[in-house]
Amino acid sequence: MLGTLGRYFNLFFITLFILVGLSFVLAFFFPGDPVFNLTGMSLEELPTSAYTKALADERWFVAFWYYVQSLLDGSWGISTITGLDLFAEISTLLPATIELTAYATIVALLVGIPLGFWCGLKHHRKTDYAFMSISMLMSSFPIFWLSLLLILVVSLQLGWLPMSGRLSLLYDIPHYSGFILLDIYVSDHPYRQEALMDALRHMILPTLSVAFLATAVFLRTTRRAVVDVLEQDYIAAAQTRGIPFWKIFLRHIMRNALLAVLPLLAVQVSTLVTNVMIVETITEWPGIGDWLIQAIYERDYSAIRIGMLVVSTVVVFVTLLIECLSKLFDPTQEQFS
Amino acid sequence: MILLDIRNLTLEIESNGVLVKALDKVSLSICEKEIRALVGESGSGKSLIVRAISGSLPPQWIITADRLTWRGQNLLKMSKSERQKIMRRDIAVIFQDPQAALDPSVKLGAQFRESIPNEFINSRWWWQQRAEQNRIAWAQLTRVGIKDVKKCLNSYVHELPDDVCQKFMIAMALVSQPTLLIADDPTRGMETSTKRQIMSLCKNLNRHSDLSILFVSHDLLAISSIAHTITVLYSGQTVEDGPFDSVRRKPFHPYSKALLDSAPSFRPELQPKSPLTALKGTIPTLQHLPIGCRLGPRCPRAQKECVNTPVPRTIHKRQYRCHFPLHIDADENLDGKYEGIDV
Ligand code: SF4
Repeated sequence: MLGTLGRYFNLFFITLFILVGLSFVLAFFFPGDPVFNLTGMSLEELPTSAYTKALADERWFVAFWYYVQSLLDGSWGISTITGLDLFAEISTLLPATIELTAYATIVALLVGIPLGFWCGLKHHRKTDYAFMSISMLMSSFPIFWLSLLLILVVSLQLGWLPMSGRLSLLYDIPHYSGFILLDIYVSDHPYRQEALMDALRHMILPTLSVAFLATAVFLRTTRRAVVDVLEQDYIAAAQTRGIPFWKIFLRHIMRNALLAVLPLLAVQVSTLVTNVMIVETITEWPGIGDWLIQAIYERDYSAIRIGMLVVSTVVVFVTLLIECLSKLFDPTQEQFS
Repeated sequence: MILLDIRNLTLEIESNGVLVKALDKVSLSICEKEIRALVGESGSGKSLIVRAISGSLPPQWIITADRLTWRGQNLLKMSKSERQKIMRRDIAVIFQDPQAALDPSVKLGAQFRESIPNEFINSRWWWQQRAEQNRIAWAQLTRVGIKDVKKCLNSYVHELPDDVCQKFMIAMALVSQPTLLIADDPTRGMETSTKRQIMSLCKNLNRHSDLSILFVSHDLLAISSIAHTITVLYSGQTVEDGPFDSVRRKPFHPYSKALLDSAPSFRPELQPKSPLTALKGTIPTLQHLPIGCRLGPRCPRAQKECVNTPVPRTIHKRQYRCHFPLHIDADENLDGKYEGIDV
């Protein structure tokens, strides 16, 4: 168990190191001055320090060392376009993205996995075929199109839900954690209730657009896992022992199927984050995806560099976390470690 | 008294859109205290019979039978819960691959507790019940000869060697004190000493606890020490049935003969390293079943009539399904037609 943890810890740090290295090297591939790309300022504007000296002398390896240090300090440089401090920017943007991803994942898990179980148990029957076709259809929608369609129909035509943003401008909620629901909850705004409702109404469309695809994927993954487990000898063996089916389901099928699904979810993390970023741009959700795409439009290389680093770190972290957890939960995995 | 009685059990499976008869009119019966061997090559449908008896076949497969009864009760007509009750109390099954037949993600102790019938537990509170269950598990596992019981109960399947798992499965099967044990090739791939242990365990259980056993195997040699009666299966058809010794001495069906001949120790006159006599060819796959007698293409005695499925015929407690049986028309001897295969 400790060994597994240790291995994943190592893996995470090595990957992180490579990512940091890449982000450093990218500054040289982007057009323009590498120093400018790394810090958002030209050499003359920078306060003198060991870091700037290394940069000025083009001692790149030493500079890289200081670069890593500056990343750890939280001095990530400034945006070349707006001049805002990148660390402060990202610490308000990232929670919004995480929030959206989390809600979408929860919705998708709550819908996709139970449905997947149901389809798996009824596999090769009509309900199964129906749901499989639906999920096929769902996962083949391009997400930007789906998101736009939802906005068109639900917000513009029917006027049920707000079409963009995270909260109506009427409510001025002080920044506390960056997670809007939490911020509203801890604030002492006179219209807290209303603000909460408003935030929820803003959340529905982006959450649904992301969850739509994820549900389809979870459904199919779970169904496959259940069908596989059902074909195992030990299920037939349990049946020959005269154990009622619901008990077999609770004790053997559910457990083994979920253990099989968990590592597969790790693969989906990056797709999920990509989808979230696309939806953010369309619904103007103030998250890192929206911001990063803006940065790309504006050729804000300093921001692109750090945005890419942050997003990939989050993806790597979550992926490894899920994989590590699935290793720890699954007793059959121990034999390989 | 007849415990399990199967007459003309047919199992149809859809394969590439057509229905094929994976089992074709299989008949089999087991009396009290009987050890019956069910032999056949792999692919002959032995395991399907076991699953048909235990009711664990996929629902889309079509089972029909003139009779499939347990102590006179029709297994096909009864409700699910009644059938589960019979499987829980009267019939127990052990499988050929214990590693696959036990849940990999649940500790063996929990799996054992699950298979103890509720009637055996008298205490009221769950911790007392648990202690009682553990006592039963302990007693059973010691009885089948597992040495480190504690470790066994606290392990997952993949942490234990095959033979311990197999013994564990036997113990788990016997805990409900069944009347019939169906052993689906339990010794496959095991070392001789373990094999012998398991065989003698079965023999003792039969002798002292009056357990009836349906021993499914392809290993004639192992079976010969314990079986009273034998049923030979070929490609989903029962080809011969009768008391073990009599079949062994004079097989009527060409396939039984080939099978017996392929077990060298049954032929003391055999020179060492002489070629193993067997039929040429291999058992047909479900997609390419011959019509009529399914042995036809491989049978040295086959003639034109063999395209009609032979009906079962009975002589002195023995049954066979062949148009041109051996040993009945004594003057016919076509032994020469068997192909020699170097092994
Ligand atoms: S019926 Fe014909 S083909 Fe079949 S075993 Fe007898 S002789 Fe051979």
